[in-house]
Amino acid sequence: MHLARLELTNVRTFPRLDLALAPGAHLVIGANASGKSNLLEAIALLATTRSGRAGGDVDLVSWQALAEEPVPAARLAAQVETAQGRTELEIAVIAGGAADRGIEPTRASRRFRVNGVARRASDLIGRLRVVLFAAEDLRIVEGPPGLRRRYLDITLAQLDPTYVRAAQRYARVLQQRNGLLRLLAARRGKPDELDFWDDELASAGAVLIAARAAALRYLARDAAERYAELASPVEALTICYRPALPDELRAAIGEHDLAPRMRSALEAGRRTDIDRGLTRIGPHRDDIAFAIDGRDAGTFASRGQQRTIALALRLAEVTLSTSRTGDAPVLLLDDILSEIDAERRRRVLEAAYGVDQVILTTPDADRPTPGELPQARRYRLADGKFAPA
Amino acid sequence: MNTQGRPAADSPIARLVEAFHRLPGIGPKSAQRLAYHVLRAPQQEAQELADALLEVKRSVVLCARCQDLTTESPCRICGDASRERTVICVVEEPLDVRAIERTGGFRGLYHVLHGVISPADGVGPEDLKIQELLARLRDVDTGVTEVIVATNPNLEGEATSMYLGRLLRPLGITVTRLARGLPAGADLEYADDVTLGRALEFRQEVR
Ligand SMILES: [Zn+2]
Repeated sequence: MHLARLELTNVRTFPRLDLALAPGAHLVIGANASGKSNLLEAIALLATTRSGRAGGDVDLVSWQALAEEPVPAARLAAQVETAQGRTELEIAVIAGGAADRGIEPTRASRRFRVNGVARRASDLIGRLRVVLFAAEDLRIVEGPPGLRRRYLDITLAQLDPTYVRAAQRYARVLQQRNGLLRLLAARRGKPDELDFWDDELASAGAVLIAARAAALRYLARDAAERYAELASPVEALTICYRPALPDELRAAIGEHDLAPRMRSALEAGRRTDIDRGLTRIGPHRDDIAFAIDGRDAGTFASRGQQRTIALALRLAEVTLSTSRTGDAPVLLLDDILSEIDAERRRRVLEAAYGVDQVILTTPDADRPTPGELPQARRYRLADGKFAPA
Repeated sequence: MNTQGRPAADSPIARLVEAFHRLPGIGPKSAQRLAYHVLRAPQQEAQELADALLEVKRSVVLCARCQDLTTESPCRICGDASRERTVICVVEEPLDVRAIERTGGFRGLYHVLHGVISPADGVGPEDLKIQELLARLRDVDTGVTEVIVATNPNLEGEATSMYLGRLLRPLGITVTRLARGLPAGADLEYADDVTLGRALEFRQEVR
């Protein structure tokens, strides 16, 4: 697949951008803070509906629009082309509600359209698939577990609409179950009121766990191969799924009775859950363990090794996305080539030339060199405007 | 007004702003705009607003049977001898009664829960008009054989219908749920995946 057109209106540093894109490599050259990361973030948002960084939705709306327009809104639109045809995607982020017009808006609402028809976010996700490589990726290895779950969610959501719906339902059910645990701790209600929430939590949770386990089996194998190619000296990378389930249930992953067994485990743990005011098992507490030669990479690996692990994981993600859907994703490389050596650059660019379209950013017009990026279209980005370079 | 141009905290204007701010969906800025609108409005408009507010509190009560908003209890529907008294449709809010009445397709009675089970918001079954429903089935509408749960088709609506099912089935009452599916006049191509999936799941035999 490839992105044939990108239109941004009032998105962060872009008052107005309308870019027609062909398949192939596109290099965006821009100084720091020129907005080149915002460009890739906007494309990733159209694929995943998730913004890559901290800050609320309202931060997506440009300062100018917030200051000048009665109803400030950011609009992101894309045309995606695959062998099956063309799809139009649109996300509108509208700052503030009617209630807080006039003061600085702190919240935003979103509207989604697919081919011009209003849709839910879950219907838009995955129509455009991207793999975004960024410097922050090493946080997946050394950051808190929440970042690894987020990585799994963003990756899997693009591949499987069932996953998106299960994840949305799970999050809502978990909130309700934890609310009921607190009510029960305050001696309001009866424990059997948990029945409904436990049923729902187990059935949505089992979908997430099965999908995560299957994807991680693939990613672990492929990333280990990639790591062996990228690392010197040769070391062994192992990636292991750590589901937050009792030991006896871990064996049930991949079996059809995971949901009922998880349901029983939730019921058995109610007393302790009520005492602690939280749900102790389930995918909201999952983790992934990365190890190099058997040693935990989050703790013991150097930053260079962590960076290489992240790179191997992203390259594995490209093959996962391609093998699951039969169609390669769009690659987005956010200024990651300047900080790796020539051999690793060669490996990444090899993957980049194996897909239909890759969009790269760099602050430095000579890195990558024209020789490293044959036939790439080059653009210069300054003041929110594009010019051929 | 003090030197900053803001009303003092105990001034009549501040009290009015505060009162508007307590209304749902009204932020501080909107509350201020409404208050100043009232200040500039003719005396009669302010009087009408005040009268309407007091009148609604004076005359509108909850129907002792169905818990709907009404000016007389029992309400017009509960008091209507021509309604079927074997079936009760349970809804979340008074507006849902109006919506179902507009269809003209339901001739039974109603019961308004005034909410749904949502523990995350601190709302449990005991915060809804469920005890009132049980008392009514036991003492007043003893001939009821079916309860239709017409809560919204979301998680909280499902939790509530599940709870009512468990509660009422042992009483020998059939508990049903509104069908979920495609909206009338909808184009299949444009239906979202969830709706279409449910419409398939709850398909019916062609007769
Ligand atoms: Zn009534």
